[in-house]
Amino acid sequence: MSARYGFVIDLDRCTGCGACMVACAAENNVPPANPRATPRTGLTPILVRKVSNGMEGAAHREAFIPIACMHCGNETPCVRVCPQQAVEVDKETGIVVQMPQRCLGCRYCMTACPYHARYFNWWDPAWPAGMERSLNPGVAVRMRGVVEKCNMCSARLHSAKEKAAAAGRKEIDPADYIPACAEACPTGAILFGNLADKNDPVASASHSSDAFRLLARIGTEPKVYYKSTEDWVKALAERDSPQPTEAQHG
Amino acid sequence: MGLALITGWTAFPRALYVRREQPLQFQHKTHSEKSGLTQCDSCHVVGSDGEFNGIARIETCAGCHAEKVGTSKAEATLVDSYIKPSRETPWLVYSRQPANVWFSHAIHTRRAGLACTDCHGAYGTSDQPKVYEQNRISGYSRDVEGHSMSGLGRAPHDGMKMSDCEDCHRRRKVEVGCLGCHK
Amino acid sequence: MKVSRRDLLIGGAGAIAGLVLSPVPWKLLGDSSIWTQNFPWIPQPARGPVETKYSACTLCEAGCGIRLRMAAKCPVGITGVRSHPVSQGALCALAFAAHQLNWHPRRLREVRHAGHAASWAEAQAAFRKACAEGPIAIIDGRPGRAASSAFEAFTRNHHGSYQVVLSAESQALSPYARWSGVSVASLGYDMENARTIVSFGAPLLDGWGTPGRFTRLWSVRAAGAADPQLRLIQIEPSLSRTAARAWRWIPVREASEAALAAGLARVLLEEHMVNAKGPMPQLSLAEAAAATGLSTEAIHDLAHTMLENRPVVVIAAGDNPAIAALNVLLGTVGAPGGIVRKRGDVPVQIAAGSLPSSLRAVLVDSTVPWEFSIPTDAEVFRFAAWDGGGNKAGWLLPAPGFLEELTDVPTPPTFSRETYAVALNLVAPSTEVQSAAQFLLKINPTLPVVKKVIQARCEEIFRGRKGTVYGEHAVAVTKIDSAQHLEEQLRQGAVWVGDAPSSGKLQCDLKEWPAENRLARTINWATAWVPPVFPALGTKLYQESNLRELPAGRQG
Repeated sequence: MSARYGFVIDLDRCTGCGACMVACAAENNVPPANPRATPRTGLTPILVRKVSNGMEGAAHREAFIPIACMHCGNETPCVRVCPQQAVEVDKETGIVVQMPQRCLGCRYCMTACPYHARYFNWWDPAWPAGMERSLNPGVAVRMRGVVEKCNMCSARLHSAKEKAAAAGRKEIDPADYIPACAEACPTGAILFGNLADKNDPVASASHSSDAFRLLARIGTEPKVYYKSTEDWVKALAERDSPQPTEAQHG
Repeated sequence: MGLALITGWTAFPRALYVRREQPLQFQHKTHSEKSGLTQCDSCHVVGSDGEFNGIARIETCAGCHAEKVGTSKAEATLVDSYIKPSRETPWLVYSRQPANVWFSHAIHTRRAGLACTDCHGAYGTSDQPKVYEQNRISGYSRDVEGHSMSGLGRAPHDGMKMSDCEDCHRRRKVEVGCLGCHK
Repeated sequence: MKVSRRDLLIGGAGAIAGLVLSPVPWKLLGDSSIWTQNFPWIPQPARGPVETKYSACTLCEAGCGIRLRMAAKCPVGITGVRSHPVSQGALCALAFAAHQLNWHPRRLREVRHAGHAASWAEAQAAFRKACAEGPIAIIDGRPGRAASSAFEAFTRNHHGSYQVVLSAESQALSPYARWSGVSVASLGYDMENARTIVSFGAPLLDGWGTPGRFTRLWSVRAAGAADPQLRLIQIEPSLSRTAARAWRWIPVREASEAALAAGLARVLLEEHMVNAKGPMPQLSLAEAAAATGLSTEAIHDLAHTMLENRPVVVIAAGDNPAIAALNVLLGTVGAPGGIVRKRGDVPVQIAAGSLPSSLRAVLVDSTVPWEFSIPTDAEVFRFAAWDGGGNKAGWLLPAPGFLEELTDVPTPPTFSRETYAVALNLVAPSTEVQSAAQFLLKINPTLPVVKKVIQARCEEIFRGRKGTVYGEHAVAVTKIDSAQHLEEQLRQGAVWVGDAPSSGKLQCDLKEWPAENRLARTINWATAWVPPVFPALGTKLYQESNLRELPAGRQG
């Protein structure tokens, strides 16, 4: 089986609630913030960013864009620069797998990632006393000094594979594998599935005329698509930064 | 040079590993021959959701040993120290892997068709637990690291390090990426 | 034998060569690096059998269906239940870390009195004394539970008063309760049958009611459509998340919602756009325009737009009689798509704003929001699982935390049908806790016991032969063979949902346009979160990103 797992995120439906951010952190044993952490030094494998069309008054529009690892399919930048081979593109699933245990913390990948989707463990993870009992046994806990990012909740893929094996099947049941962000989204804005499977709704959604990818011009072939009926949102796709400047509107 | 060589190959291994005792002297042989638990999966079970239970929980032991059925000291310890107070027996696990390793018993036994003995040896007929030797520095058991430091004279199921997994995968031509074995 | 320097050098070289050919340096190098991977201060997840349990979330009145992944009898993951007819798989953002709440650093682990540690025995003695010395009150933040019946019974037997704290959603329904005589708990919105929803600042897409109920409805029938089946008009001073996604955002000045309602009512009545003939508001259209900052044309257009796709229902953010009066004018009260009366009837409860002035003691249940200020100088016995901080004199009593007690989940206020669910004590408390109901039971052993009340309610549902139980499958109550079986299903995480409301059973008599202007509570994204503290992972939203701001007075 050769799948290409990916997402289509519907920005008409994203309300910026942040459920995906919390669900992701809980599933992946991401620690709560160190007291000194800031938005620059925090650990948010999926990060919802607010964007606006830069207009004032009644013409002012806002939207929210969840950004996580795009699982680039072509010349994956982080894979190319890692001196440790701590990240690879999984042949079977297309997931770009980060192995924090191999990482030596040079952060070259963080520089290379065009989507700023990689995060560094500036501090050792610390949970309040006793809270480690609520850690997910399917995900290894990282330590200070390594980079981490979205791994498409591969713990859930593992569980799906085991369940399939126990039932004598080689292929997983697609209903058994859904990343935490997609499962948590209250409006169903995050659609997950196998882009290579014609019958999977995510495949057809990715071909919709309203679908686009961020920084498509640089050719990384992300597996995360976005969808919007609003032109100003689509226009943000090729910008270097989600914040509009004065030159943007008009 | 000779002194260093000799010390390195004899005294060092002995010093590096510390022998630890299992909480009680469990006999596989008694259970497999006398109690009708002839298959490994009578107690070491892959569940319907694919999860492997590892060493049976105390409730499983209590199924037969709620009261003492024999005369051994081991059973007395089991019943008095663990079954009666409902405590899990703190077994020392020979094949305990690092936290970032994902090994699926379901996939290896059902899809690959491996027998338990292929990796764990003919342990089911043993009449005493294997000696548990723990590496003082890394904390892992010698069963995982491999008894033979030189690699010579190694039994097929000796050693469960990543290189051992890779060797078997290479021999059987089963390609997996990092995702296949790590979490 | 004399050892010369040469011998030493040769010996040393030989030793080094020998060492290199021995496993010593290589093994030490490898083992040391492995040692660095296992520092003891890095927490490791527990190993243990993994189970799945279903329950209802008890952190607020929404009662969302939850699925818990448990390892070694401890929750390690929480998610919604897609087949739950109300929450439909969604939870509020913070609930995804709720399973970690019980170990929050601010977890209340000991009885405290006036800032010092105390004991349960002392607290009991003090409360008994207070009951004997004068009138007491019990404040309940989530009426309708089995525990609530214990509170009511206690206050009846001890000359006390039982008061409830209403959520913002319930407060928004209060005008209809006052005008119809029906309890607020029996009212709801029939949103599924509405085609236009006009929200006056109610955060419908951001934690209002049972979050999934409207977000799913809106996602299917409105999102992304230029001409949606369900039109959401958001009236609000600033561009909130709901306003940003709404079909129309009408920006108005702060606190001018009542004026806009009056202006709209004028247009509707003067142009005979509704069947109702009154009551006419005192405010003129020009005055409404001046107060809201909208032009008279804009108000005029809004009135027309509201009626384009009916049924239309208007939802306020809090107790705003003018907005409720608008609904009465529009004829939405008691009609499909509007304000409906759920089938079960709940006795009327008294809101906590009207506490008697001279009280000896007040017992505050853990379901009452932390920032609720008790307007009295009586001795306060505050039950809470977490210490929200701030200067709180009186008694702080450690209550059960998340899923640490058996409790039931009555109908969420905004839903159009009755529902009932049960939440088991799936987690063993790690500290000595007592719920307020258990505390009172020690003083008066004749009080209703939660377990028995739940059993009685399940029997009542069974005997009623109405509704459906949604568990792994949806089963009509008529097809369930016993009350015990029904209760067992609920204990396993299923939810009972009653029949659809019958129409025409709700009437509001409104003679005059409401003059009073009750200020709505300020709503922010954290208002719906009842526990005194945010889950530890809440930092993702407000410290490690700019997505949300920590509201003033709330602690992380």
